[in-house]
Amino acid sequence: MALPPHRVDYLPMADRPSIAWPNGARVALWIAPNVEHYEYLPPRDPARNPWPRSPHPDVQGYSHRDYGNRVGFWRMLDVLDQYDVTCTASTNLAVFEHYPDIGKAMADRGWEIMSHGIYNTRYLSSLSEKEERDFYVDCVETLRRHTGQQLRGMLGPAVSNTIRTPDLMSDAGLTYHADWLHDDQPIPIRVEKGRLVSVPYSIELNDVPVFLNHYDTEDFVAMVKAQFDTLYAEGATSGRVMALALHPYLMGMPHRIEGLEEILDYLLGHDLVWQTTASEIAEYFLDHHYDDFVAHAASINEATDAR
Amino acid sequence: MPADRSLGMDHPHYEYSSLPQRTELSWPTGDPLALGALVLLEHYEWEPPSDAYSLRNPSGGLFKLPAPDYLQLTHREYGHRVGIFRLLDTLERHEVPVTVAVDKLTAMHYPWLVDHLQSRSCELIGHGVAASQLITSKMTEEVEVEMIEESLSYLERVSGQRPRGWFSPEGVESSRTPTLLAAAGVHYVCDWPNDEQPYQMTTPSGELVSLPLFLEVDDEFALWRRRASLGSWEKMIVSAAHRMHADGQTSARHLMLTLRPWLTGQPFRIGALNRALSSIAKLQSVWTARGSEIVDAFKAVANSD
Repeated sequence: MALPPHRVDYLPMADRPSIAWPNGARVALWIAPNVEHYEYLPPRDPARNPWPRSPHPDVQGYSHRDYGNRVGFWRMLDVLDQYDVTCTASTNLAVFEHYPDIGKAMADRGWEIMSHGIYNTRYLSSLSEKEERDFYVDCVETLRRHTGQQLRGMLGPAVSNTIRTPDLMSDAGLTYHADWLHDDQPIPIRVEKGRLVSVPYSIELNDVPVFLNHYDTEDFVAMVKAQFDTLYAEGATSGRVMALALHPYLMGMPHRIEGLEEILDYLLGHDLVWQTTASEIAEYFLDHHYDDFVAHAASINEATDAR
Repeated sequence: MPADRSLGMDHPHYEYSSLPQRTELSWPTGDPLALGALVLLEHYEWEPPSDAYSLRNPSGGLFKLPAPDYLQLTHREYGHRVGIFRLLDTLERHEVPVTVAVDKLTAMHYPWLVDHLQSRSCELIGHGVAASQLITSKMTEEVEVEMIEESLSYLERVSGQRPRGWFSPEGVESSRTPTLLAAAGVHYVCDWPNDEQPYQMTTPSGELVSLPLFLEVDDEFALWRRRASLGSWEKMIVSAAHRMHADGQTSARHLMLTLRPWLTGQPFRIGALNRALSSIAKLQSVWTARGSEIVDAFKAVANSD
C-alpha cells in the first residue's frame, strides 16, 4: 500500500532488490555545492520570511551568503579541482545571470547543474499550478540558454515544494527529485505521467545545519567519515547513495576549508566509490533497477493487501 | 487562583516517593541494572486532520517549513524504510531485547514491518494514532478514549496481541491519560521520565505502572533538541549506565534508552550507539529486558511486600 500522498510504496531496506553500481562500486557519491543567490529585497511571501531577523533588508544575513559567491566559491573550487571532483551544483539559476563568471566556471568543468529554483528567496509553496508549470519552463530554458545542458533534476528552491511538484517536474522532462530524505538508495516516485526517482540528498550531512548550530569543522569531518564507513560496508551487498551537501558561504570559509580537503582525501581514498552526479545516478537506476524496485514493491503490496 | 500548597504531588496520578526511602528493588537475575530499549515508530501525516494537534516544532527536516514539508516528512520516513534495521541489528548484536512503540498509522501503512518486528521477538506497545495526532487536554474525554482504544485494538488486530505498554505520541498526555490507559487495560506507561525505577501509579480505574524512560539520553532530546555532539551523547549513555549500575547495588535501577530509527538509525549515528552498548556490556552484570519484563519484575517485588 502506498503511503499518502501515494507517491511512494513501502520498500524496506531489508527486503528489496539489490543495486549493482558500475564497476562494483559500493557507494555512489554525489557532491552538491549549493550555489545560491538570496535577494536583498525579496518579494513578500506570507508563508515564509527569508530574513526574519530584522525588517528588510537584513544586510548581515545577505552579506554572509553573498560572501559565498565573492570568496567562498572560489576557494572551494580550488580544492574541488585539486581532487578532480565532478560536482552536481544545486544552483539558483539566476546565478547564471547575476554572476556569469561562476556559471562559466561550473560549465567549463562539466558539472551537472541541478535546479535549486531561480532564487533562494522565491518559494514554490504558494504557487498555483500554472505558476509552478511556468517556473519549470523558466528553469529549463535558463539552463539551456546559458550552458546548453538539459535540466534533469531539482532540489526545490530553499527546499520548498507543493504537493503537485513531482507531477509537474516529470511533465517538464525532469527525471529526479532531491527533496526526499527517505532512503539511502534511489526510489521510484509515482507521477501521473512518465518516470521520476528520488536521489537521496541530505539535510544532516549538510554544512548548513552543522555550522549554523554549534558544531565545528572536526565534527562535520567525523560525521561524513562515519556516514561513509557505514554506507561503504553496507554497499558490499547492495549499492548505496551518499550525498555531500555544501555551501560556499560556509564550507568555503578560511577556517573550514581544510575540513573539505580531509573529507575528499578520505572519501576518494577508497577504491569502490563511484564519484558521479545526481543525474547519472538517476539514469543508471532508471535503466537497471527501476523496474525491479517497482515490481518488488507491488509484490509486497499484494502480500500485505491479502492479509 | 492561589496555589494549593498541600503535601505531595499537585496531581492525582501517583504519590511522592523518595528513592532512598523505598523498599529495596532487585531484578530476577540479581543484577543491579536492567537495560532496555524503546524504539519509536512514529508516523507523521502529509495531511493531518484539520482538528489534530502536532508539536509546534516537530523534529526532523531543516526547520519548520510551509506544508508540505517534504524534508521533515521524508526525514521521518527514513526510519521506517532504512533506519529501523540498523537499530534492530545493533541492539541484537548486544543482546538487548527490543520494545517498539508502534502508532496506528504505522501499523496500518507498514504491515510488513509489524510482521518483521514480531519475527524478531520485539514487544510492541501502543503509541497513539500518529505523531501528527497528539493526545492533549484540548480534546474531549470521549475523543481521547476513542483514540486510545483505536490505537490498542488496531495493534492487537495486526499483531494478535493486545499491547501491555504505552507511550503517548511525542510523550504528550492530557490530564486524564493515565486513568484512561488503566481503564483500557494498559499495564504500564512510559510517559513520565522522572525516576530510575518503575513505580505504581494511583489510577482509580485499574492498576498502572509507570516505566520511566531516561530523557537526558533520549536521542531526540539529546541530539536534536539539545544538539549534543554524538561523542557527548555516547559518553552520557555510558556514564549514566555506570553510575546506575553502581547505585543499583543497594536498590536496582533500570535504564530505558529511547531511540528513533530516523535519527539514531542514520549511517553516521549508528556507530555511537554501537560503541555505547559495547561499553555498557563490559559491566557484565546487566539484565537486558523488554518493557513488560521489567514491569513484571517490579510488580513481583512490590507485591511481595
